[in-house]
Amino acid sequence: MIPSLPSPLPVLDRALLHLVCRLVPLAERPDWLRCWQAELWHRHHLRSTEPGSTAIDLYPGLVRDALWLYTESIHMALEGTALLCIELLAAILLFAIVPLFALSGSGHALLGLLMFNADRFLCGAVLVTLVSFATGSRTVEHESPASLAPRFRAQIFLAAKLVLVLTIAFLLSLDLTQPFHTAHPFTAEILQPQFFVFMALLGLRWNFQDQDNRCKHCLRELATPEQVGRPSWNFLYSNSTELLCKDGHGLLSVPEIETSWRQSSRWIASS
Amino acid sequence: MAAQRLSHTTALILKALSLNYRFGFEIMEVTGLPSGTVYPALRRLERDKLVQSDWEPEAEAIEHARPMRRYYQITKAGKTVVLSATERYPLLARFVPEKQA
Repeated sequence: MIPSLPSPLPVLDRALLHLVCRLVPLAERPDWLRCWQAELWHRHHLRSTEPGSTAIDLYPGLVRDALWLYTESIHMALEGTALLCIELLAAILLFAIVPLFALSGSGHALLGLLMFNADRFLCGAVLVTLVSFATGSRTVEHESPASLAPRFRAQIFLAAKLVLVLTIAFLLSLDLTQPFHTAHPFTAEILQPQFFVFMALLGLRWNFQDQDNRCKHCLRELATPEQVGRPSWNFLYSNSTELLCKDGHGLLSVPEIETSWRQSSRWIASS
Repeated sequence: MAAQRLSHTTALILKALSLNYRFGFEIMEVTGLPSGTVYPALRRLERDKLVQSDWEPEAEAIEHARPMRRYYQITKAGKTVVLSATERYPLLARFVPEKQA
């Protein structure tokens, strides 16, 4: 409950507070209102050391404060989420298309160029994916068996990232080689698949690492890495880094050194 | 937050807080910064744990017949940062006068 003021605020102040408070997240709204009512009240009733200053001077601060809380709440809600990751990859994909579009001159020509290179993309993508899965993917042990829905969601997310990463790598390889394709077609033809394979391998390596470092329940990036134990404890106790899910779904314990009894990371879900 | 990343404006606000200016518009007046700069900066400093805020004691507000205000205090980490900011911006101390009791 917001305590009443010794004397009411002017109508303009109250109207502005009423309007702007809608931007403030619900949980913080009472505190924000109380704080700004007090600030405005003091501005009206206490003499300022600066001549000519009025409560209107506080209005930009009031609005920007509410906007800051609004953007911060969105930032906190989206930070490290799977959705944000997919959106960022989609943005990079669009960014990678722009140079090709500029070089082709029209959407129709761009489509023709992509269709012409489609078989090369498919061959390279299959090869890189197989190699990456064989060499880069790691298993994560689950202390208790994970339910089906989160596992399915995680696989869908991994597949979506894989497709996006491969497409980005292919488009970037075309971006790099197309400008000199007319002058040196042979060199461009040789270099383009090599650029694609190199970037795709790097991208898929990142994809696996990113997948490992996400919560197995909500797919949010794990945070606050903490070193547990020390190297001399490796054979006696634990020597690992622990990462926490911000939403409290569990923690991931990543061993510093692989041992016969501890070869992979372990996900410990909160009960 | 590293002192290197602290802008001059934020360093000025932190300096004012280190000199015991505690309220939003008190900081506005002493630094000459607009409210649109001061209040979001205070939020950022609080998020970065360089500043902590609290409500002033109710008894104090009742005694002066006014509503309770949120006041800001510099933390230990904030003091360390303001020291390195003063080294980086040597004129900082001149912009913010000592608070009179």
